[in-house]
Amino acid sequence: MKGVETWRRLGPPHGSRGVKGQRPHLAELLSRTAQGDHGAFEAVYDQVAPTVFGTVRRVVRDPCLSEEVTQEVFIEIWRTASRFNATKGSPSAWVATIAHRRAVDRVRAEQRSADRDRRAASPIVAYDEVAESVEHNMDIERVRHCLKRLTDLQREVVTLAYYRGYTYREVAELLGVPAGTVSTRMRDGLIRLRDCLGVGP
Amino acid sequence: MIRRRLSAHTLAGASVMDALDPVSQRRFERHLARCRECAVEVSELREVAGRLAMASSARPPDRLKEQVLGITRRIRQQPPAIDRASRRLYGSTQARPRPIARTPRLAMALAAAVVVAVVATWVVGRPGAFIPDRRTVTDPAISAVLTAPDAVMIDAAIRPGGNATVVMSLREHRLVFAAAGLRALPASRCYELWLVDQGHDSPAGLLPMPKHGMSGPVIATGLQRAEQLGLSVEPAAGSHHPTSPMILLVTL
Repeated sequence: MKGVETWRRLGPPHGSRGVKGQRPHLAELLSRTAQGDHGAFEAVYDQVAPTVFGTVRRVVRDPCLSEEVTQEVFIEIWRTASRFNATKGSPSAWVATIAHRRAVDRVRAEQRSADRDRRAASPIVAYDEVAESVEHNMDIERVRHCLKRLTDLQREVVTLAYYRGYTYREVAELLGVPAGTVSTRMRDGLIRLRDCLGVGP
Repeated sequence: MIRRRLSAHTLAGASVMDALDPVSQRRFERHLARCRECAVEVSELREVAGRLAMASSARPPDRLKEQVLGITRRIRQQPPAIDRASRRLYGSTQARPRPIARTPRLAMALAAAVVVAVVATWVVGRPGAFIPDRRTVTDPAISAVLTAPDAVMIDAAIRPGGNATVVMSLREHRLVFAAAGLRALPASRCYELWLVDQGHDSPAGLLPMPKHGMSGPVIATGLQRAEQLGLSVEPAAGSHHPTSPMILLVTL
């Protein structure tokens, strides 16, 4: 029961005061999408496309590939809208989960084909500096602010995993830190972010 | 025993960031199945990950919306899940590629064409003889074209080298494109598809960077009768009109 309550608190009511134009009706739009309402799906696209594309591109990097993966993400959202369950989490987290997993799946598949060297050579700052961040609003500022409040190692492991798509073992290898430490820092880093962002209990 | 449970517990953060290898992920999910607090924690941390996603928003190219809406209009949606256990970790099983079992022969043929073209001569009419590449035939949008009753396959040479396979459906107004033997491009360049009609070129999408010379399959929409499909090398972000000569031109 406790779990359900927490989910409810994290769900649409909480989300409705989120990013400008982002969440007020997203859960409702997804439920209409699940019923085959293509107009609602278009509205879903308008609301979440920047998050999906930004996340995918940050992980995937290659612009052509990022577009392709973004397209896959939206096909999946369209196909599986009926699987979204508002009692289990916010719609934006559901979308982000799909986007991030698709992006990560793709880079790992690419990696397996040993073709990532050239892309890896392009510096990450190139994307961080892209002034395309469409919504420079309070919520984004807050995430940045909260990231700064992590320890260096927490911040490093979280950003390497989430924004670059590395596994915790790869992060451990990269930083020369034991894998157990990395997974622990990932968890307590996210917990600190959770508390800072005011998500959860 | 305690040590092992504690250790699995610490994987929650890595799990919501998709940072676990498959073995660790399965181990964590087993742990999750009997750990109620973990389920709550995972759901909360997933929300945090959602915020991290939001913080990297970037505007996608406008044409992407039309592509997405064009494709989804023709894709059947999944019914709601009945099996509760399968969605305990919501989304955890959804993003994985679909099994190949129901993939029609033409889909296999296209995927196989990409694989086979680099090592053997393409033999039209013997699609069943090829071994499909699992990853490339799983996209539902692509299967929609490949299963269209009027789907036609065209094979063509790319000029500096390479081979393209096109499956088109006029009924679906779209085609699937895949290429083999493409040369690698610098990061600043990208292969772009064009639909050419009476000298007018309209962009039809960017090809993913070739892996071992192979790229696609990708989908191009808005297909009309009596058109040609072109391919050129463009700046990485794509162009509105071709800025270099076509390296492939197929009459559809």
